[in-house]
Amino acid sequence: MFFHWLEKNPFFFAVMTFAVIAFAGLIEIVPNFTEAARPLTTTTPRTVLELAGKNVYIKDNCIACHSQLIRPFKSETDRYGNYSLSGEYAFDRPFLWGSKRTGPDLHRVGNYRTTDWHENHMKNPPDIVPGSIMPSYKHQFTNVADIETAYAEAVTVKNVFNVPYGDDIKAGRKAWEAYRPKVLEDAKKVAADMKDEGVKKMIANGKVPEIVALIAYLNSLK
Amino acid sequence: MNALTIKALGFAALLIIATLAVVIQMDIDLTDSINAIAVGGAIAIATITAYVTTLYIGKMKTDTATGELVDENWDGIGERTNELPSGWAYTFLGTIIWLVWYWFIGYPVFGFSQIGQYNEEVLAHKARYEKKFAAASPSELKDMGKSLFFVQCAPCHGNTGDGLSGKAHDLTKRISKSEVLDVINNGSNKLGYPMGMMPPGMASGKDAEDIATYIAGGLKGEAPASSAACTSCHGADFKGNNGMAPNLVAYDNTLISHVLENGKKGIIGTMPSFKTMITPIQEKALTAYIQSIVE
Repeated sequence: MFFHWLEKNPFFFAVMTFAVIAFAGLIEIVPNFTEAARPLTTTTPRTVLELAGKNVYIKDNCIACHSQLIRPFKSETDRYGNYSLSGEYAFDRPFLWGSKRTGPDLHRVGNYRTTDWHENHMKNPPDIVPGSIMPSYKHQFTNVADIETAYAEAVTVKNVFNVPYGDDIKAGRKAWEAYRPKVLEDAKKVAADMKDEGVKKMIANGKVPEIVALIAYLNSLK
Repeated sequence: MNALTIKALGFAALLIIATLAVVIQMDIDLTDSINAIAVGGAIAIATITAYVTTLYIGKMKTDTATGELVDENWDGIGERTNELPSGWAYTFLGTIIWLVWYWFIGYPVFGFSQIGQYNEEVLAHKARYEKKFAAASPSELKDMGKSLFFVQCAPCHGNTGDGLSGKAHDLTKRISKSEVLDVINNGSNKLGYPMGMMPPGMASGKDAEDIATYIAGGLKGEAPASSAACTSCHGADFKGNNGMAPNLVAYDNTLISHVLENGKKGIIGTMPSFKTMITPIQEKALTAYIQSIVE
């Protein structure tokens, strides 16, 4: 009998046990995944400038103190806005949910903070928020953001994961040279709301300071 | 009564005394029903533990195996042909019934979801909130506004509302000279007033300076002649012509509600819209508080 055969073959017994338990898991998990993991109709891929800002966010380790996930609790939605849906992260690689809130959640920070606020705040947080222990990020005003890598990232996720970027984002030095002015244009729009002279000078010289990319990214978190 | 029973009773007594010692030591109020139930539960657990332990240790000493040994044995360990304990059998049958219920009724896709529960709770809370504060008194509104201000406004305008030395609009004063000049030179902030957008360049040069000084100074002294350009929309008293245009003298209800709902872009920077962040009652509360901090 099959049962006796199974009892004498521990390997296949283990495989069957796994299959039975995995089946229960599949029934629980898969229906929800197929529904919830798709991007929302309003979710758009991040622009190249925003991707560069996301890389600054990762590099300066914002995730150590800030989460990007609003749970469906009234105390959180009152403060941060609507709870997060999994489809909103469809284009995030990696997602930046975070697991520690030394500072507040940032998933919808674009709704209630503005460029000029971020500019003042990143220079010296305690000036804006009394008692804040967030360090100052002055170096972001002088460091140059790596928009070229951000472009390469956009091309990669477009080709590998089918992220719906436009036709003008494609591999090759020429395509990048043609696209570069658009990134600078986006950066100029952000910098127009800023007061820092150094930032304006860098933008005029065709360079994007990290702070501009980061603010573009933070403003896109809605 | 054997030695084992005596030991068990002693142990139970020890646990109960420890419980009571904690009650006395921490000065716990036993008239509070929750505390009384908790202490009762602790005593019950101590007693039941002593009873069950005595019962089973006693059984282990005297029990012998029943039922016939089956022929098969596994490395010398045999098995007896006993019935499944009835408690186990009923639990097993219960899980089958539960399975049918879960499969057709209880499975989350068909009914319960965390998000659904959240939505229900929020709706219920909103209804309660609206009902409780529908006719809030002025002092209640002011208190509510104060705590809202700390959450929503203070991050930019500062805890006292003074705008953190120029990093945001100073809410303790109506309007500063540079702000008036900016609006005269660059036009309105599209706040959504019935009068519509204010065009740039209504006055210029010294006229603009005079107007700005006059308005920022709280309308003291003689009104400059050039301010006639303002009064046609903002009213002869600069109070906004009954809500047709922004009030330039005070933070009236219309002004605060327009700024909160539409946001604002001015010489200092951009203020986002708070339309989705606060409810109508909270807007009233914030208005009451902001009006109370103006000098």
